[in-house]
Amino acid sequence: MATEEQTESGVQRSSGVYAGIIRWVENLDDSRFAYLLLAPAFLLLAVIVFWPLLRTFVISLQADSLSGATAYGEFVGLDNYIALLTGQLDGVALPSPFFNLSQPFQSALIVTVIFTVVSVVFETLLGFGQALVLDQDFRGRRWVRVAIIIPWAIPIVIQGMIFYLIFQPGIGFGVDIVQAIGFSGTPLTDSAEALAIITLADVWKTTAFMALLILAGLQSVDRSLYDVAKVSGASKWQQFRMITLPIVLPTVLVAMLFRTLGAARIYGLIEATAGCTTVPSLSCLVVTTFSTRRYGTATAVAFVTAALIGIAAIFYVVLFARSEEGV
Amino acid sequence: MATEQRQHEESGDHERDVGPFTRWVQSSIRNPQRAYRAMFYVLMIFFLLTTLFPFYWLLVLALTPTEALSNIGLLPNGFNPGAFVDIFEILPFHVYMFNSFVIALASTVMVLLIGSLAGYVFGRFDFPGRGALMLILLTISFFPPVGFILPLFQLFTGNVNVLGISSPMLFNTPFAVLLPAGALYMPLSIFILTTFYRQIPDGLEDAARIEGTTRIGALFRVIIPLSAPGVATAGVLTFIYVYNEFFFSYLMTNGEAENWAPILWGVLGYQTQYTAQYNLMAAASIVGVLPVAILVVLAQERIVSGLTSGALKE
Repeated sequence: MATEEQTESGVQRSSGVYAGIIRWVENLDDSRFAYLLLAPAFLLLAVIVFWPLLRTFVISLQADSLSGATAYGEFVGLDNYIALLTGQLDGVALPSPFFNLSQPFQSALIVTVIFTVVSVVFETLLGFGQALVLDQDFRGRRWVRVAIIIPWAIPIVIQGMIFYLIFQPGIGFGVDIVQAIGFSGTPLTDSAEALAIITLADVWKTTAFMALLILAGLQSVDRSLYDVAKVSGASKWQQFRMITLPIVLPTVLVAMLFRTLGAARIYGLIEATAGCTTVPSLSCLVVTTFSTRRYGTATAVAFVTAALIGIAAIFYVVLFARSEEGV
Repeated sequence: MATEQRQHEESGDHERDVGPFTRWVQSSIRNPQRAYRAMFYVLMIFFLLTTLFPFYWLLVLALTPTEALSNIGLLPNGFNPGAFVDIFEILPFHVYMFNSFVIALASTVMVLLIGSLAGYVFGRFDFPGRGALMLILLTISFFPPVGFILPLFQLFTGNVNVLGISSPMLFNTPFAVLLPAGALYMPLSIFILTTFYRQIPDGLEDAARIEGTTRIGALFRVIIPLSAPGVATAGVLTFIYVYNEFFFSYLMTNGEAENWAPILWGVLGYQTQYTAQYNLMAAASIVGVLPVAILVVLAQERIVSGLTSGALKE
């Protein structure tokens, strides 16, 4: 191979398709060469992501086909979306109301928003705590970090199984604890109680992710700033508020953005603990309507979910831009 | 600080009439560092307990004999390690684990091969459309998988026709899980690899080119070996993500071990039996956690640097 490669600007003729390709690649300009190397990645994404997304949108413009003869009904434009948002599909195309609200789409939306907001807030607060602990120098720091990361690294199904068992009546210790604060004896069968448990499970698993990102932010703070603060008599709290927080804030926002986007697609954890009929999230709604072959409705819900996640992303980007300017 | 503490303890000895708590409070007021230290230990122990206790309790549950399965305390009511054998006899749990390993490894290889090329280009070339393409990648990693599931399901079950040829039947093969799961986590790997490739000095690449290596030769012989830490990081993270993945693992197989169903179906399998085999569920969960737990212990530096560089760069 090496001998053939010593071609000078492709003048030397060498036989074989392989050498021909090598020479062709060598003679490409930088931009073309870059596109060539990017091609496999974007080809894969085209098949697995772009085409399905486009297709999802096209299907969402078609009516549900209930006869079974064809996969989809006629073209109906945005009717699926209108029906979904005005609640016309409730109890007809969407499974009957799960939550304590009378409308399934709205209850799924509420479940998803409550879950996302509450879990992200707690993950940020606890993640900050974990990051502050890991930021210290102490013996065994490595092992404490391992202990904190492990919940993050376990499969979602096992996370779900752990909390399913902890809150299993007659088996888990969790039932007694939550009964003390007024929950029923079978918390995983009650929508609101199960939602609380699922939120707890998510906080348990993903706080570590927040902690690691915030820790990276903390470690970028110039330590000499603290010495200056100490000399001028600032208390620990003042040091935290005046130095640490402003510098770490952009990092925290990025971490919150990632977690919000992750939390808003919650599905597996619900399926593995309480089930989608007890705690319906938006992703749950897509899967349940999909499995009853109401493709038009399923894809419309999927697209609305993606749009809501997009809005959340824009919200964070604006906040981020402001916090960068504010420093 | 240590000498200061000793002094406080000595002075405390003189005031024997006050209790140890009062003495501790007094010395903390004189020396706030001590109070911070105490707060730090309280926090650390709290976090250690909350993260690790569920695993300990899982072990207690797994070791409890079937007939004693009620109100499990801090110690198992009896000792029955047999549950760790039973899980493999009732379901082919080892086959599920093997399937998961194959799927996670294969998608890691796929992501590293394809992602390395893309990361190399983003890290070392400037070309028209670079920013836009990176933005597209970033957007993809945010998209919920429910946005793709329906067309992908039809594609993988042979229901899509392209020019009269129907798509291959990938449902119930490892590809049905590894392609979408790998593709969705590939952008993260590309970002990680981009930062690593960017850090390699230009001189090394130029030297390799002058030595007579081709462009692609320079990539595989110089750039990739030098960015081995980045490749390892992206690899570890992709493996963990795909091994842990739920959505496609659940929906893209019918759950039979011989149809390449991953570990998820094994863990859930004990739930659908007529008898509630809680100890087996716990034992299976522990066995399923072991591979990633070992990976975290061995590769924690990689994981930390990967998560932070992948997330915070853009």
